Amino acid sequence: MTSDAVIKCIVWDIDNTLLSGVYLESPEQPPAADPVLAGVLTELAGRGILQALASRNPPEAADYVRSVTGVQFAAAECGWGSKAAAIGRIAAELDLPADAIAFVDDDMLERAEVAAALPDVLVLTPEDAAEAPSWPQFSPAVVTAEARRRGELYAERRRRQAAASAFGGSRDDFLRLVGTRITIGRARPADLPRLHELSVRTHQLNSAGEPVTEAELTGLLESAANQVATLRLADDFGDDGLVGAAIMKGNGAGEPVPFVVTAPLVMMSCRALGRGALDALLAWMCEAAAAVGATELAVPCLVTDRNVPMRLALAAAGLRAEPGAVAPDGRAIFTRSLAGDLPVLPDWARVEATP
Amino acid sequence: MTGDPDHVAAELRQLLAEVTGRPELVDVPPRTPLFGGGVGLDSLAGTLLLRQIQRRYGVDVAAEDLNLDSLQSLETLAAFIVDRLGSG
Repeated sequence: MTSDAVIKCIVWDIDNTLLSGVYLESPEQPPAADPVLAGVLTELAGRGILQALASRNPPEAADYVRSVTGVQFAAAECGWGSKAAAIGRIAAELDLPADAIAFVDDDMLERAEVAAALPDVLVLTPEDAAEAPSWPQFSPAVVTAEARRRGELYAERRRRQAAASAFGGSRDDFLRLVGTRITIGRARPADLPRLHELSVRTHQLNSAGEPVTEAELTGLLESAANQVATLRLADDFGDDGLVGAAIMKGNGAGEPVPFVVTAPLVMMSCRALGRGALDALLAWMCEAAAAVGATELAVPCLVTDRNVPMRLALAAAGLRAEPGAVAPDGRAIFTRSLAGDLPVLPDWARVEATP
Repeated sequence: MTGDPDHVAAELRQLLAEVTGRPELVDVPPRTPLFGGGVGLDSLAGTLLLRQIQRRYGVDVAAEDLNLDSLQSLETLAAFIVDRLGSG
């Protein structure tokens, strides 16, 4: 098995992936095909790559997608079971090894489940899929440097996933074994486009749920009252670059008001999920706030069913909200005392000069 | 649907082993902390676990427990689920 094996079949999700909406939400007039992905679908089908569907929908949804895209699907799995099992059946039906299959889904958890159960499958977001036609895995003939790098990134992830599945110990043992390197530092002007992009693209691991413009970020960088910290992630499989950030500000020290450091935004790319990056960022935030004399760290967090992973990380770092204290804007303020034991920064995390 | 906490805890152990990919966790004691040292549940494994719980028991823990304190241990998680099954 090689990780940059040529893809022979793409398994697509339907809702909010091939369709620009949810099929069952308007059964009398289902949503149109997503114009970008429908184009990708047609292009890749034209190169002889098989197309298949795996969707939590009734079978009619597959017929509908066929009619609006004009593409014939080699297999269609519609139902409410696990997508990993559905992909397994498609692989058996088409007699393909897992490393010849790519899976595209807008839902991070579906992607995570498939990646965990079938580490050889190339798992992609719809945004990835939009550029996949230029990757070597999908087009051995045409390859730009950028496309090669992006394709490599996913091949790296697939190798990491396969190694993690084969590894028997704890997550931390695995992260140490593969040489995980986390670097936390102060944001620089050159980071602004990426920070803006992260604020737009992250949802599951985003506390604020609102994009931050480059102009706003520039203002934060220039203001002495705010700190913008970045987190970069790499390991022996590859370098993911800037994957997360936190904005922090103090309430201004002075008795008798307790000195609280508040983080209006904490965000992390889903690429970093399961690699200890958000836990490390939160541990560092506790340390950094305590180091400037704060007695409490506060993270206002939008409470939705989408960013449950962020709330789990806050809980794991010991932050709690007043029960029932969700404000009309949908936010609750999660806080923790900075007295006593703080969450521990893993020994593979490196802090560049205090941000 | 069974409402026996021991039975639910045994099923949760199985789910935990599956979502973390660590088969040895089927033996984790009911009071071992899920966050931190003991099990080291992270946000990915935790979210997958909550999702499996919603599928199996129809209980949306994240929607009903703002602070996710029910995830303290398998024992507290099983009690939370049994309580919701009983009152639902």
